[in-house]
Amino acid sequence: MFPNARRDIAFPVIGSLVLFAVLFGGGMIYQTILGNGSAERLVTTMLVDAIIVIGIQIYIGNTGILSFGHIGFGAIAGYVFAVYAISPEEKLKRIPSAPFGLSDIQVSPALAIAIAVGVTLVFAFIVGIGLARSGAQSGSVAATVITLALLFVTHEVAKSWPELTGGNRGGIAFGIGESLKGRTPILAALFAALLVARIYGQSRSGKLAIAAREDNLAARAMGVNPLVQQMIALLISVAVVSVGSSLRVWQIGSILPDRFFFDYAMLTLVMLIVGGRNSVTGAVLGVAVMTAARELARRLGQDGFEIFGIGLDEAPLDWVFRENLNSVVLGLAMVAFMIWRSSGILEDWEFDQWLYQKIGRGQEVEPQRLAELDSVPETIFAASGINVSFGGFKALTDAGITAAGGEIVGIIGPNGAGKTTFVNVITGMVEPTEGRFSIDGADLSGKPAFELSRNGLVRTFQNLRLFGSLSVRENIEVSALVANEHRADRTIRDVDSLMAEAGLWEHRDRRARELDYGNSRRLELARAAAMAPSFMLLDEPTSGMSDSESLTMIEQVRHMAATVGAGVIVIDHDLGFITGISDRIYVFDQGQVIADGTPAEVQANPHVQAAYLGSAAIT
Amino acid sequence: MSELLQNLIDGLGRGSIYALLALGVAVVFGIMHLLNFAHGELITIPGYLTYWAFNNGWNWWTVVPLIVVSAVITSLIIERVAFSRVRGASDFTLLLTSFGVHFIVSAGFLLYVSASVKPYPRPTWFAKTLAVGSLNIEVFDLVVIAVTVVVLAGTTWLLQRTMFGLALRAAAADFDAARLMGVKSDSVIRGAFALSGFLAGIAGVFWIMREGQVTPTAGINPMLQGVLAALIGGLGSLRGAVLGGLALGLAEVLLRSWLPVGIQNLTTGFVFVMIALLFIFRPGGLLSVPQVERV
Repeated sequence: MFPNARRDIAFPVIGSLVLFAVLFGGGMIYQTILGNGSAERLVTTMLVDAIIVIGIQIYIGNTGILSFGHIGFGAIAGYVFAVYAISPEEKLKRIPSAPFGLSDIQVSPALAIAIAVGVTLVFAFIVGIGLARSGAQSGSVAATVITLALLFVTHEVAKSWPELTGGNRGGIAFGIGESLKGRTPILAALFAALLVARIYGQSRSGKLAIAAREDNLAARAMGVNPLVQQMIALLISVAVVSVGSSLRVWQIGSILPDRFFFDYAMLTLVMLIVGGRNSVTGAVLGVAVMTAARELARRLGQDGFEIFGIGLDEAPLDWVFRENLNSVVLGLAMVAFMIWRSSGILEDWEFDQWLYQKIGRGQEVEPQRLAELDSVPETIFAASGINVSFGGFKALTDAGITAAGGEIVGIIGPNGAGKTTFVNVITGMVEPTEGRFSIDGADLSGKPAFELSRNGLVRTFQNLRLFGSLSVRENIEVSALVANEHRADRTIRDVDSLMAEAGLWEHRDRRARELDYGNSRRLELARAAAMAPSFMLLDEPTSGMSDSESLTMIEQVRHMAATVGAGVIVIDHDLGFITGISDRIYVFDQGQVIADGTPAEVQANPHVQAAYLGSAAIT
Repeated sequence: MSELLQNLIDGLGRGSIYALLALGVAVVFGIMHLLNFAHGELITIPGYLTYWAFNNGWNWWTVVPLIVVSAVITSLIIERVAFSRVRGASDFTLLLTSFGVHFIVSAGFLLYVSASVKPYPRPTWFAKTLAVGSLNIEVFDLVVIAVTVVVLAGTTWLLQRTMFGLALRAAAADFDAARLMGVKSDSVIRGAFALSGFLAGIAGVFWIMREGQVTPTAGINPMLQGVLAALIGGLGSLRGAVLGGLALGLAEVLLRSWLPVGIQNLTTGFVFVMIALLFIFRPGGLLSVPQVERV
């Protein structure tokens, strides 16, 4: 679950405590200085908003999917809470004909919150299935619109079902029997929300969801099923939002459809985005900053307000400082941040991880080089009779290869030979018209990409797909997490050793996107090796490299494969590289395998010479 | 039977307005992958101008061109001030930028005009009906349908037969390739926003006539209908957008007449649920544009 208990549990707990103390402490100081009821209400509102924003962060931050729907879930939770929490006498006044016999029930607020969470989670699960079906991934538009639709549906239903909700007009608001005195439940929920958000972010599911956020395709190639992790994130996030929303209703003492609609969705999103949606610290900062900015704008809008002894009611400025200025501030903050700093003030800076780097981990020693495995596990990759047609065009005809564990098999061919189509077939990107491929007889054709890698066929990408904002170490950790679950029967190498092996030790804390080209290639190789693969499929591993870099790469691929006992299937169009690295070579031309054998045999083959040098070479 | 026919005409009338809105959304989406949540502001702002114009003695003959022209100008200004600065950014950024623009405009009207409803007169022929056999056809629906057909025909001509249309379609298919082929990105993007504004302006004329009033949040509904219709049809497909608009209009009218009386006011909710189901089973929309995953 957690690769490193100190980093992933202890420090997040400390971090949650600190964030909690800062937010609550700051609020108390403000409240004490002003010493009036309105300041007290402002602080309470801020604390409740913080719970909801942290809840939303768990989903948006870790999956990268923009959701407007969380406030819709909040509406469901709020109404369920209200309907259960208020007394039958009160219901007689507000909703005398409540359905499902709800008019006679009253439970304690705590139980009402629990029921609200439970009911809302059921809805979240259904919506989550819909999101998964729509192919949700980071930034996907359809998923965002589904969540927007959810927000509107809950609002419509709340407005048009007065028997249950009391409807839309003023005066039909619920008065909740005993309104919330004191802040204890809010403070407890806030701390719990921080803890849940931070620990989820460091957990296996959180890490895998973040990997999929960074690069969905690469995550699937590393055995991650993003849809499962997104669902987990959604459910946890909705649970926190439900608690926050129930408390919001309890604290205000009433609920109306408009309280959980566009404006509140906008407010919570702006809070999340301003601070930095990818970190919990950012979410908390955003709540504080936006609460302050809106309060300032509100007071500037009132007449008679002074700042530093200067009145702002002078005629020239009066057209700016008016009531409702705080709504404009929200919109401006959102657009300004999107234009100039779309990942927020803190980007993904996380306080507790920073603290861990500073004081938590002590001296790290570079691990020894890994020894190659004594014996390579016996295993066979076989693809045979692969046919692929695009419309009338036959891209592959009866193509097939075999590879054994520990062997390095090269695939080469001129442009248009069908190499890429072949790779796409055995990586699950293209469904073959005919044919199958398997490892040790287990048929893998037609399986999704994440199943292939869990079964031992792990790929790299021609144009580099790393998890850009994750550190070098975290990139490899993602694979290790999957390997521990699905590749337990193989020798799984430890993350630090693999980093050292790939020559990345000194770069271990850098973000993957900051690496130079050669190091990025090596990181991709190490990340694939961390999956404990039976076969590594390297797609043009030297593209963009100089000759001398290619030569070094040959050594690294060989050694890395030997330390994890994997066979290698390598595709390239560089004849020198392929003959230098491979034990056996398959030559593709015009969608067919035209030759195979050792490098020497293949080079002597007249058909190969024809394909590479033109048919004149034969005659 | 006659009720069905009546509903069909009614639905086509509504659907035509949605189709124009959706087409505007789709044109912009095609060119910069931006799902424009601020599309409704192309109706809010002309709506307030309409209110202002009637208070200053204008009539519908002069207000109609005012609506169309102001929609085009608004579209261009929003592009210049906000969207031109986030070109090529992630979908997440684009979505939230347009959402923010919507919020600024509606909050601005709230701040500087007022939260209250601003009414203006509807055209005199608005409520007239034509009796054809047993049918009572609203003149308004007929005008909407006729104008939409003309505008769509004009737009098709523009896209298929002019250099601008060719550049726009090329840029929508592959923006970078189109630039390399000499398509000027600035002018084609501005052209797309102008076209989008013009289509919203035509739709706006009818929307504004039908509403008879304007509020700061008047843009939300046309925006939603336009965005949803574009999605129903399949994002990226212009034909799909028109189809999606008509489908949405028909679905609304037919659902309203079929739903039992007690839950008729849940029509919008049902439409949303149907749309969500459509996305779940056909994520690409009706005319889905195949998305190939690039490695």
